[in-house]
Amino acid sequence: MLTGIVFDVKEFAIHDGPGIRTTVFLKGCPLHCAWCHNPEGISPKPQVLHAPSGDRVAGTVYTPAELAWILNAQADIMRANEGGVTFSGGEPLRQARFVAATARLLRGMHILLDTSGYATKGDLRLVVALCDMVYYDLKLIDPAQHRRYTGYDNAPILHNFHVLGGLGVPYVVRVPLIPGVTDTDDNLAAIAATVRGAPGLLRVDLLPYNHVAGGKYAAAGMTFAPPYDEARPLNINTAVFTEAGVPVHVA
Amino acid sequence: MEQHLEEMKRRVRDGEHNRWRQDSVPDVLAECEAEGLSWVRRAARLTRRMCEAERPVIEPDERIVFTRTLRTIPPVYSPADWAARTAGRTVHELGCVNNICADWGMILSQGLLGRRQVALESRQRLADQPEVVEFLDAAVETIDAVLGLAARYAHEARELGRLDVAALLERVPAHPAKTFHEALQALRVVHAVLWLSGHYQNAFGRLDQYLWPYLEADLRAGRLDSAGAQALLAEFFIASNKDADLYPGVQKGDNGQTLVLGGVRPDGTCGVNGLTRLALRAALEVSMIDPKINLRIDPGTDLDLLSLASELTRKGLGFPQYSNDAVVIPGLVAHGYDLADARDYVMAACWEFIIPGKGMEVVNTGAVSFPAAVDRGLREALPAGGDFQAVLEGTRQDVRRQVERVVGDYRRLILPPAPYYSIMLDGCLEQGRDASEGLKYNNFGIHGAASANAADALAAVRKLVFEEQSIDRATLLRALDANWEGYEPLRCRLAEEGPRVGNDDDAADELLVKLFGYLAQACDAAGDNGRGGRVRPGTGSAMYYVWLARGNPGMREPVVGATAEGRRVGDLFGANLAPAQGVRVRGPISTLRSFSKIDYQRICNGGPITLELSDAVFRDAESISKVAMLVRTFAQVGCQQLQVNTVNLETLLDAKAHPERHKNLIVRVWGWSGYFCELAPEYQDHIIARQMHTMV
Ligand code: SF4
Repeated sequence: MLTGIVFDVKEFAIHDGPGIRTTVFLKGCPLHCAWCHNPEGISPKPQVLHAPSGDRVAGTVYTPAELAWILNAQADIMRANEGGVTFSGGEPLRQARFVAATARLLRGMHILLDTSGYATKGDLRLVVALCDMVYYDLKLIDPAQHRRYTGYDNAPILHNFHVLGGLGVPYVVRVPLIPGVTDTDDNLAAIAATVRGAPGLLRVDLLPYNHVAGGKYAAAGMTFAPPYDEARPLNINTAVFTEAGVPVHVA
Repeated sequence: MEQHLEEMKRRVRDGEHNRWRQDSVPDVLAECEAEGLSWVRRAARLTRRMCEAERPVIEPDERIVFTRTLRTIPPVYSPADWAARTAGRTVHELGCVNNICADWGMILSQGLLGRRQVALESRQRLADQPEVVEFLDAAVETIDAVLGLAARYAHEARELGRLDVAALLERVPAHPAKTFHEALQALRVVHAVLWLSGHYQNAFGRLDQYLWPYLEADLRAGRLDSAGAQALLAEFFIASNKDADLYPGVQKGDNGQTLVLGGVRPDGTCGVNGLTRLALRAALEVSMIDPKINLRIDPGTDLDLLSLASELTRKGLGFPQYSNDAVVIPGLVAHGYDLADARDYVMAACWEFIIPGKGMEVVNTGAVSFPAAVDRGLREALPAGGDFQAVLEGTRQDVRRQVERVVGDYRRLILPPAPYYSIMLDGCLEQGRDASEGLKYNNFGIHGAASANAADALAAVRKLVFEEQSIDRATLLRALDANWEGYEPLRCRLAEEGPRVGNDDDAADELLVKLFGYLAQACDAAGDNGRGGRVRPGTGSAMYYVWLARGNPGMREPVVGATAEGRRVGDLFGANLAPAQGVRVRGPISTLRSFSKIDYQRICNGGPITLELSDAVFRDAESISKVAMLVRTFAQVGCQQLQVNTVNLETLLDAKAHPERHKNLIVRVWGWSGYFCELAPEYQDHIIARQMHTMV
């Protein structure tokens, strides 16, 4: 039986898309970003979080029907408030069949995919075809840098970005600003060049780094050792986007 | 906010007006004793002497005057006399009439001289009834006292060359107010004298309804524009914070100066007007803890208004509190209120529904401890081999016993006469009857406290003891008695595996609904409350979420030890309607859906669902409109009352010290939000520091 593993279902996720929506956090991510703020989202297995507020297991296994039942219970409310469901993670496309099967069962809700883009073309197409909007992360354009900070090559991400443009679903490119890593003028300019004129692009969201990124590592039994200086002031360069004619927003 | 208002606010915050305060208060008791005055005359004498002893204070930039200079309220009875007078009777809180709302529209439109005329006519008509005559004379004495006070303020203003202020006080509160400014000035003085007379938790009621005619006329005539009106109202709001440190109350700020905006008019049409928004904007500008704003809404209230209100929530002051007309009004009608009166409801000090001018209700007679009732149900049924139904039956009977205990006491309620309050309550002067003897509505209210904990306890026991039979009855009782010592795994199972209220899970919510059903039954069964009213059950907890867990001297309600949802002795209960402390839920929509299942036609004494949102939720206009949607959803799913709190520094510090109580506290961490308690301490400190930073 098809099942998926989810590490959280959070209602009223204000920053995860339009209207009132619920975000489903899918567990498991192929990347290992040095700044990942959801360490419990990386492993695809259930794990115990030892938080000061007590232990709790992160990772619940659902069938698509079970998850859809929870989400559909509030479908009327989501619809009345211009919202719906966001699939985030971890990397939701790692469980593309589960996400697609769940999305097909949702009753008329706005569906948003929040992805790193690190997936097969087929998985991307499968899920995006069921979505109303996509949040697509672009972190680093230089392949060596990308390998260094996320552990993997960005070729699939850049390739999928072009695939996405042809799917006819509007999307927002999201750039986490990591001090001295992703916020350099070079990288931002390269991102601007990549997205410039891309069909379907709504805007670029710059997400300023926040110093509590590593907050959950201890609870997940992991250590947070950022290979960059967290205290370094951010370079929030919106001009490179504006000059390239790309709408940009600092979140 | 205008410069002079900022300055005025600063002065009030710094307590600069304290320098006007006098060191002594008049010795009213001595003259009452010497003259052998009756109770009602003593009350009037107090008002009179306090008014006479007040020294006019007019700050150069003030346009609405009155600063209280008398610090305390002197007694009118010696302790021994008071004890003798109240022997065998129940004294509510401090004793005197409190926590009701005057008919402000009437007092402003008739003026004190108009009310005085009414009193004199009644005196003539009812001259053969000595008690009536005495009451009316006392009422007139208080009116004359306030007129004297206003005259001295006017005189002082003339001396100071403040002809504007002098002109105001020569007209109001004696005569009917003609302008918005006059109405605010009249309200300030008449309201302040309530406090000076010993009354407390004096509500402002539906300010946007009773003041709108004055403002509308000013705007029409071009005497005032809306910026000018907002500045005046802001000054009035600042003034209402001036004397707050002198008010009696459990905690500073808990003073019942509530104000209600929005809602339908008595004829059923929408009452939202220009002043509704203006008052929200003024409160936003002023951002002080008084007055406490309540907004009446319904499922159709527009998002613009709710967004404006959400801006206020963002300030972290804990208001506005929302009430859903679509649920409250039919509930009041079901409790015997006339439709037009029900439509005019306002909030008492916390959340209880009262009718301005027509209610002499005691809305907070006490509480039923649902956890204590469940505890009793368990202790009776489990050893006797009873089934879950038997547990419920024991719970039901205990709820009834608890209601009877409180109501039994309050049937012996004694309320001192309140001649001054009576001049602004409907029918008192007309009928020559003091308000303390009763008005049109004389109900009692009782809180149904700690309901989520109790429902959780029942749900856990039903599942683990009865359905799965994986926990043994005797072991459970031993574990409760031992406060879980030596039974930690058992405690964890009850806490983790039981269904919990707040997650839209019928297995728990159904029991919540049952508990409130028992409460409604018990209140119905209590019948007449001894004052021609009935007992209204509510969903609030007030301070009982602490008291029922830890006790408080003199309280009637039972204190319970460890409880079956895994709570330890002394741990606090959830406040009002909220998931029990430490319960992790999917979010506010599920919580609203859980609490929408309560039958609010039968449970109608108020008590808000409490949602806590991080300040980061309110970052931009788009998020504000989402909070507005959440509030609208509250009304649309059929809940009764709602408080939305912005997480503030205090909460964060408490969350750091007691993480188990704040599992749902959400903080924003760049493109995402996280649970505060799951962040490592140093990160918590960082957020606290950030919060400190935004506070300055
Ligand atoms: S892609 Fe997202 S979830 Fe995956 S490691 Fe990077 S930050 Fe974490």
